[in-house]
Amino acid sequence: MNSFVRSIFYLLIIIFVQVASGFEIKDIPVQDEGRIKPLDTFARNHLLAFYGKRSIKELDLTATDWLMNLILDPHNGRKQKIFNVRNPDVITSLLLEWSTEHKYSFNEIAPGLTGQSAMLAGIDQKPNENRTVFEKQLLELSRNALRFEEISYLKALKLIPPGNKDSSDEWLSPYDFILTGMPMDQSQEKLLGSLQSYLAGRLAGEEQTMRIALMDYENALRSFPNKDFEIDTLEKETWMNKVNLFYISLGCYIMAFIILALSWMTQPLWLNRISFVLLVSGALLHGYGIILRMLIMGRPPVSTLYESIIFVSFIIIIFSLILEYFRKDGLGIFIGTVTGSLFHYIGFSYASDGDTLGMLVAVLNSNFWLATHVTTITMGYGASLMAGCVAHLYLLQSLRYPKDEPRLKSIFNNLYGITLVALFFTLFGTILGGIWADQSWGRFWGWDPKENGALLIVLWQLMMIHMRLSGIAKRSEFALGMGLNNIIVALAWFGVNLLQVGLHSYGFDDGVARNLFIFIAFEIVICFGLYFLPKLRTKPNIT
Amino acid sequence: MSDIKQLIKFISSPKVFSYTVVWLIVLVFFGTIAQKDVGLYASQVKYFSSYYFLFAGFLPLPGGRITIIIMTINLASSLFNKNLWKMKKLGIIIVHVGGLLLLIGGGITAKFSAEGNMVIKEGESSDHVDDYHDMELAFVNTSLEDSLEYTIFDAPLLGEGSSIKYDKLGIQIDIIDHIKNVRIESRISPADSIYKGFLDDFVIIPKQPDKENTQNRPGLIFKLAGTGEETDGIYGAFLGQRVPDTFEIGGELFFAEFRRKRTYLPFAIELLDFKKVMHPGTNVAKSFSSEVNLIEDKIPRRVLIQMNEPLRHKGYTFYQASFVEGLDKETTVLATVKNYGRMFPYISSIIMSIGLLIHLLFNLPKMLKRTSKRSK
Repeated sequence: MNSFVRSIFYLLIIIFVQVASGFEIKDIPVQDEGRIKPLDTFARNHLLAFYGKRSIKELDLTATDWLMNLILDPHNGRKQKIFNVRNPDVITSLLLEWSTEHKYSFNEIAPGLTGQSAMLAGIDQKPNENRTVFEKQLLELSRNALRFEEISYLKALKLIPPGNKDSSDEWLSPYDFILTGMPMDQSQEKLLGSLQSYLAGRLAGEEQTMRIALMDYENALRSFPNKDFEIDTLEKETWMNKVNLFYISLGCYIMAFIILALSWMTQPLWLNRISFVLLVSGALLHGYGIILRMLIMGRPPVSTLYESIIFVSFIIIIFSLILEYFRKDGLGIFIGTVTGSLFHYIGFSYASDGDTLGMLVAVLNSNFWLATHVTTITMGYGASLMAGCVAHLYLLQSLRYPKDEPRLKSIFNNLYGITLVALFFTLFGTILGGIWADQSWGRFWGWDPKENGALLIVLWQLMMIHMRLSGIAKRSEFALGMGLNNIIVALAWFGVNLLQVGLHSYGFDDGVARNLFIFIAFEIVICFGLYFLPKLRTKPNIT
Repeated sequence: MSDIKQLIKFISSPKVFSYTVVWLIVLVFFGTIAQKDVGLYASQVKYFSSYYFLFAGFLPLPGGRITIIIMTINLASSLFNKNLWKMKKLGIIIVHVGGLLLLIGGGITAKFSAEGNMVIKEGESSDHVDDYHDMELAFVNTSLEDSLEYTIFDAPLLGEGSSIKYDKLGIQIDIIDHIKNVRIESRISPADSIYKGFLDDFVIIPKQPDKENTQNRPGLIFKLAGTGEETDGIYGAFLGQRVPDTFEIGGELFFAEFRRKRTYLPFAIELLDFKKVMHPGTNVAKSFSSEVNLIEDKIPRRVLIQMNEPLRHKGYTFYQASFVEGLDKETTVLATVKNYGRMFPYISSIIMSIGLLIHLLFNLPKMLKRTSKRSK
């Protein structure tokens, strides 16, 4: 146990000593998509949109470096093959040659886009659901090209906070001041001046000038009147971008799983311990990642679909740890590592859409209800899926050890207990959702798809519990039902969005629909397969 | 006596609950899927707010109300089960009492609540609520000296083929057609002389109704008799009609208005300013709010209504629901609800979570242990 405590201690040190590298160019604030973020995030998201990746590995360039190069040398930047175009129809319409690298420069795509400006205007007029895949991608490319150009002459970079006399909270770009001759106040002038000397220093390659300019910039920011941002928060975000905690926690989970598998094969206890420590470390990093995101955005843990995935997997890990604490036989570690890795992986595919720290629409903009209802119901999803996993395990074990009554009974008791916990969170979360609806738009319950989805989970769990109590369902039927509960959770979580938003984002939801269908088919086959196999096997013995 | 016991035992059995839940799951599942095709309101009316519905047009199946009523009876009678009243089942008892309260509250809300919209333009005021779904036909007498006299014909009277005889005015109205959604077109050839008012130049044409009832423009075609030879004939009216048809009844001038059913309030609301704030540099709304005067007995009081912060007054609640952008003035849409059962979910959710927590605290540790019954 000593080694366990020690490794946790080291881990905490790693977490909390965020390498103090001081204020860097990538930390400077920029307003984009409704929030103030560090330049690093801005550059990463734009590079992701243009290039498909968050850095240019071939040239060993970080996103911020790429952005700086573009600003300082737009002429060469326009020749850089930075646009990732994969649709052959789009390539043809731009009068370009198909290349297997799919990468094109601004100078290559610009003439083709200008040539089709009439058509693009037409596509722009159409509602999104009526656009074809080709039209959507061409429109996106043209928007990206425009954005690229705006970045190259600093117009898209809203770096300067509004001055005292401005009532609006919209930030301004250097372009607004320099080229349109807008008047600036003293603190804005300081910022702009130090930015200019930084850029000049960077162009000349003078480290000293750059460092002094950045210090000036930081001081100007810190003394800015009525500022609506914190430099520490910006630095936290760039640190989070760089370290990518969720990749590390995924690594921990995968390692824990491999070591657990080894410990099952060779059976020494210390391997099991290491696996447990790895799972705990992963959970700590995972949890810290969630806390950092909360600190940066100043809002509760779950407010977008991406965050719900990350949070659900965290909840499952926590439940796995509790289960492991009570059982100490690796069962909890097994469930935790498998589901934790899986959900991280799903989360990454959602993160590839762009900024995962987006702003919220008006009705969601209420911290109290987001914190209570959404967090509770998401914990309910997590607990329900945990129950589903234990149910699978019960079915599997009853196939492997049909005679081992104590073993099966103890797993069944776990399953029943976790089901009750899941019911607590889903029931309470659903009612809280109703109360939020009552507070916000006047009715407790409106049979809206999202509400019905949550209700279905509650009803399903109530049904299974009462069937068990009344004797309709025996242990294995209960496990079958709770295994299938995973399908209900998936439908309520992802399927409901499909029903509502299905018309709006076609290509994206097609993928979700397909994955959902595969998941449902898989669960049905697995659950019923595991349920019926032992029965088939025992039959010949009886007759 | 034992028969009654048997009956209670049967009614209160968890088996009955299990099967009703199964049916409710089926209803919720298909009712939700159906929303994609028929819209939320139609599906709610058919599956959830109904006592029964016809499957495939002929097979009557229990609807949401019957199912939930059975559930309520089952739950209530289960509390008479002697086996339940033991100390170690304390948590279970509390949960079930909470659940019963929730269902009863739902029943009260379903029976007595009313909801609608209040639409106010900046600088104007309103003292009535428009129903979401029901319409009414109003005959307005404009010949009185200092007031308008309204004669209202309610939604149930306005079904196709129904006939209203109104002796006070000495008229008879026959409803020829009541159409969910209409469009208006100019006539190509001259109309028969029986058509009066705007129907002389236009026709009302049925249009495919939208899934969302509030998107529709309902229309009414009716035959008016008893006003005199000149004005008797077939009239039309539709929602949002700019120039209403006029006619004389007994020497007094009336106009007809087909509008959303109104409920008048004992106070009025005046919209001072509607504000929409966007996240800077985006098209995503950050907040909506309406600054209003609540006018009661001619005394105004300033109130700010915004998302998640409604105005509650005299049993009515006003929520910032929507808005209409105008050229110079904006219009706010306040969803208005009169709800009697609204405290039930609050109370029952607290009771249920206390009950479940007690049950979990007593039972969970022993359920999670690996070696629970190994000693046996």
